[in-house]
Amino acid sequence: MSQVPINQSTELIQADGYWVGRFQAMASPCEILLETEDSALAKRLLQIAADEAWRIEAKFSRYRKDNIVHQINTSKGKAVSVDEETAGLLDYAQRCCELSEGRFDITSGVLREVWRFDGSDNIPDIPQVKQVLARVGWDKLYWQQPNLQLQDGMEIDLGGIGKEYAVDRTVLLLQEALQEALQQEPDTNFVVNFGGDIYVTGPRKGDEPWVIALDDPRASGVLSSGQIQLRRGGVATSGDARRFLVKDGVRYSHILDPTTGWPVADAPHSVTVIAGNCMEAGMLATFAMLQGKQAKIFLEEQGVPFWTI
Amino acid sequence: MQLKKKQSIRDALAVATCTLLSGVSQTQATEVNDDRWELDTAILFYSEKDRVEVIAPTATAKKAIGEDEFITLRAVYDSLTGASPNGASPTNTAQTFTSPSGESTLTTQAGETPMWEFRDMRLALGVDWERSTSRTVRDTLSADISKERDYFSGALSANRNWDLNDRLTTISAGLGVNYDLISPEGGVPDAGQTVATAKVLGDESKTGTSVLFGITQVINRRTLMQLNYMHAESSGYLNDPYKILSVVDSGTGATLQYLYEKRPDSRSSDVLFWKMVYHLSEDVLHLSYRYFQDDWGIKSHTVDLAYRYELGEKSYLRPRVRYYTQSGADFYNHSFVNGSVPTYASADSRLAEMDSVTLGIKYGRKVGSDSEFSVRLEQMVQSGKDHPSDAIGFQQQLDLYAELEATTIQFSYSTTF
Repeated sequence: MSQVPINQSTELIQADGYWVGRFQAMASPCEILLETEDSALAKRLLQIAADEAWRIEAKFSRYRKDNIVHQINTSKGKAVSVDEETAGLLDYAQRCCELSEGRFDITSGVLREVWRFDGSDNIPDIPQVKQVLARVGWDKLYWQQPNLQLQDGMEIDLGGIGKEYAVDRTVLLLQEALQEALQQEPDTNFVVNFGGDIYVTGPRKGDEPWVIALDDPRASGVLSSGQIQLRRGGVATSGDARRFLVKDGVRYSHILDPTTGWPVADAPHSVTVIAGNCMEAGMLATFAMLQGKQAKIFLEEQGVPFWTI
Repeated sequence: MQLKKKQSIRDALAVATCTLLSGVSQTQATEVNDDRWELDTAILFYSEKDRVEVIAPTATAKKAIGEDEFITLRAVYDSLTGASPNGASPTNTAQTFTSPSGESTLTTQAGETPMWEFRDMRLALGVDWERSTSRTVRDTLSADISKERDYFSGALSANRNWDLNDRLTTISAGLGVNYDLISPEGGVPDAGQTVATAKVLGDESKTGTSVLFGITQVINRRTLMQLNYMHAESSGYLNDPYKILSVVDSGTGATLQYLYEKRPDSRSSDVLFWKMVYHLSEDVLHLSYRYFQDDWGIKSHTVDLAYRYELGEKSYLRPRVRYYTQSGADFYNHSFVNGSVPTYASADSRLAEMDSVTLGIKYGRKVGSDSEFSVRLEQMVQSGKDHPSDAIGFQQQLDLYAELEATTIQFSYSTTF
């Protein structure tokens, strides 16, 4: 069965006027907040959310050996035919690569072979980086739905999209389920929060905002870096707080620029963005990190609410 | 990266995200629209008791001709036969009229509403070209022509829709022009003149322009509301060349002579239309109200209520009730007293004070994956002031507004091919 066991348990507790359902997925604490009196409904929605998060983790995690990503990453230069959902994500990744002028690239993961972000001063030398960089770049692969063909030694990693995708997908599934279930309470809103990647479908009753604790990446799951109040939209954070290198007084973030093979200099520790949905927020946060020193200017130009640490 | 380019990243991301999340369903939708025609066909039978019968087959076909670009072709063929009131008032004796073309004479019995017998057909063709000029702006250009034996009409309109506020709000604005040519056999009679001696003129025409503003708002997941305002101006020959009126004796009410009706040569009207669609768990409620007024003195109110009741997955029933009421035009009367016929005068019952109630039911059923069959049955009763207070002499014993009962049956079939 699965190589990485997934803790498939959920818990449901009643908070101040709403239900909180919790479970663990994608190496993060996940929760949904749902404003209803109906505990059976809350239970059902929690199960739908957890099942979807676990499904996406199982299907797209690069740590597993029984999924499409593993099949692609071990294809040794042969074409792999992918299903429609994977194709959608590949199209999306391609578009993000274009929009970021090559800075966001799902093939950049192999750079980790030479960059180990453990807080040490282990900086690779230039020839090492060059060698790995030869296996990085969307322009080096062939993608024509449904066929994906990587060069031997290349890998893809959907980790930069997966969690946000899971949030937005879960929102859609919960909205469908609510639509079917609720006749008397048409305007039930909820929050999906997968490890700080958040989607709020609408305000609480009485137009009250949801108050959501933000995970502090410096002590994930333990510390909170504050709260946000949100009525509607997606929130995502891109950060490197625990993963960096320091050498000769220079702090190298774990955000690698695949166009150079080197970490982006002077990037903020973390960027949090609010946008229309979670995937948009996530990509804008990632794009901002890839801008390094220009992160804030980039986000100001995009006209989205954000903050950086 | 330049600043201008950066700003568009957010929009581009939004599009990519939307495409990804709507996933499978969107791929399918594009396939359907790519190369296939959406076809709606119907045949309508309209029958007024003792009056007009209409058989009207219609067809509408829509097809994508590019990305976010559609063309719609419309065709209606009407075949009309029967009789309609000619405007003359009933009297206590038989009345004889010569038909407008002068070919035949028609006798109306005492106490009966005088009618013209007629037979006509009409062919109407239209085309719409709809195009998204950006992610939030949609334009529609339409052209229509229609031809009857004695009537030609051509119209052009342009509409623009703006989506705002995450597509929860749509604002629309439109402009329309039309040109009509009236060419009865033997020419248009000189309006306001005695029927027996009126000069016959050549063809006449009228032109019209209209503007429309609308807003459609998604109130919540279940409720949609629409508010439209339309203003229209028309000028030229606005008479009905077949309508006449009776000039009656001020003492006895007896008909002394017939005149061709004469209406003002301009008309300005305003329409306010409000509509709400409310989705229940499965069923849908439609409610609309329309207010109309013009400078001829007509004010009307229409309330229309329909409820779509789902009968399981494949079929539905849609009962409907509609109430309509209007005040008469300033220059309307059932008949006019000799010596005091105003400049503008008409006895066309369509301009009279009246109200009507329509009850209807529609049954629809899905056939296969993308076809639907439906049948609609409607019954309308229209009534006016049949015993007005200004009736003179024996008119007081007569029915001066002939009630109208009409039945509509329509069979429709929509499919994609």
